[in-house]
Amino acid sequence: MKRQAGGFVLALAVLWVAPLVLPIGDYTHNIIGLTFMFAATALAWNWLGGYVGQISFGHAAMFGVGGFVAARLIIAFGLPTGVAWVVGGLTAGAYALVWGHPTLRLRGPYFSIATIGVGEASRLIATYWSGFTGGSSGLSLPLSGGPTKYQLYWYGLYLLAAAVVISYWLRTSRIGLALLAIKEDVEAAGDVGVSATRYQNLVLFLSGTMVGVCGGFYASYQAFIDPQDMFSFDRSISLILMAVIGGIGTILGPVLGAVVLVIIQEFLLASYSDYYLGLYGTLLVLIILFEPLGLAGLLARLKPLRSTP
Amino acid sequence: MREVFTLAVSAVLLAGFYAAMAYGLGLIYGVLRIVNLAHGGIIMAAAYLTWQLFERFGVDPYIAIPVALVVFFALGAGIYLGLVRFLPRGPAGAVQSLLLLFGVWLIIRNVAYLLFTGNEQAIHTSYATRSVTVFGSSFSVTRILVFAIAVVALLLLHLLLTRTYLGKAIRAVAQNPDSCTLAGIDVERVRIFTFGLGTALAGLAGVLASTLFAFNPSFGAAELLKSFVIIVLGGLGSIVGIALGACVLAFAEVFSIYVVPPYLTSAVGFVLLVVVLVLRPGGLFGQRVLR
Repeated sequence: MKRQAGGFVLALAVLWVAPLVLPIGDYTHNIIGLTFMFAATALAWNWLGGYVGQISFGHAAMFGVGGFVAARLIIAFGLPTGVAWVVGGLTAGAYALVWGHPTLRLRGPYFSIATIGVGEASRLIATYWSGFTGGSSGLSLPLSGGPTKYQLYWYGLYLLAAAVVISYWLRTSRIGLALLAIKEDVEAAGDVGVSATRYQNLVLFLSGTMVGVCGGFYASYQAFIDPQDMFSFDRSISLILMAVIGGIGTILGPVLGAVVLVIIQEFLLASYSDYYLGLYGTLLVLIILFEPLGLAGLLARLKPLRSTP
Repeated sequence: MREVFTLAVSAVLLAGFYAAMAYGLGLIYGVLRIVNLAHGGIIMAAAYLTWQLFERFGVDPYIAIPVALVVFFALGAGIYLGLVRFLPRGPAGAVQSLLLLFGVWLIIRNVAYLLFTGNEQAIHTSYATRSVTVFGSSFSVTRILVFAIAVVALLLLHLLLTRTYLGKAIRAVAQNPDSCTLAGIDVERVRIFTFGLGTALAGLAGVLASTLFAFNPSFGAAELLKSFVIIVLGGLGSIVGIALGACVLAFAEVFSIYVVPPYLTSAVGFVLLVVVLVLRPGGLFGQRVLR
């Protein structure tokens, strides 16, 4: 455990200093910053999908809510970027609770299909509520005032660090045990006094808030957002993919998955954009059939003596 | 008053299609405890198959039904034998099956996109615009045909499940696979057949959908959600349950035009789902199985 904490701090320090001393180009620098954010969203998805076993196909809804609330706050009131992100994130967390409280009573596939509905309904509402989201023409953020794309690298790193710390806390605390109990058997968990409703709501709120903050980050990063992109089903899919490719339920996994997905998106799909859904689908099928724990599972198998986080 | 009559008949006609669409999902769930997330993708693929048969060979969409049933039965059995069979049983398997079949859906979508591009397609038969007037309200012939076919299909299915050895075996496996093994039923073969049959039904729904709606490779997500809502509403118990669930959804959608803007019609099903879950925690599912 000490070794893991040491490794985590060391990795943070290296990533924090790297752009200052290494000759990294602007493009790579920005992409790495974006990767941090994606890794944070994948970890947040994993709190619900991996720790509780409730697979959400609708997390883009919180990403969108967080992004648009943050963007509106920045445009209308000129709020400091960080504050706008946090308010956007909390709004997204609250939104998650609104639909999550009733639907989290469902287990497994039922919850998952309900989240497809949540995602679609949110996308429709956001697209037609043009007074708030700008409709199909989207919203542009002011170019001055907020952090530059260059500075966002470090903000992204902080987001990722926060997501890793929360993941670790959720995993090792009493809450983690409760979540594991709920995942294995809800009824048995209820019998020993673990309230599935309370813990699942807590995790969904945390997950929604984190994803919402990341949505705010993304709004600042792109300086332009539109509902069709922010709320898209593809965005929900990409969260699942990162977690599943990397290793569902682990901490290292979603981070690795984010790196893999960004590499796929930036390099492979630039030239083969017609094949991305099929590629994602094939990856999912292969991973589920041959290594359900993803890259983290593969690593654990290669180094059987070292325990993965 | 006439408007209400028109809407009510439209809702009943729609419900027939919905029931046929939902049954495949319910059947597979009942026997395998797996929600076939590729259901929407199969519906979309069947719509494209029908469209191709119509455009290239001039085959009438309704004549294409047997072809679609055979093709998608084979596809479903193939998906089971090649993929689903290897998943573990129990809760871990449920999560994995979800992701696996979701992957299959993405692949089907991509194939459709590569073959037919992302453009909207629709089938224009010679009788597509014809309508029948009943009590001063007119209804399109296509919708009436779709309703009739759906009802016939459901009745045949009911006979299959209640009157044949295979059907009884399917219901028995849904209730208790272990005792089935003891009674000498080849459980694995029943599972293959059920997955094939459920997929074939999704194929039928796709053929019917292709004559009602325009479609593109993303078509099917809403259909998956609706099928699921119907199963939650009506339970897996019987044809009657599915029909009731389909009616509730269809009436809610059709009459929602009085309350919400048209673009939100597709969200009605989801709202209904949440309402049911709040009123009856745990869903209307309970422990109900195919009987």
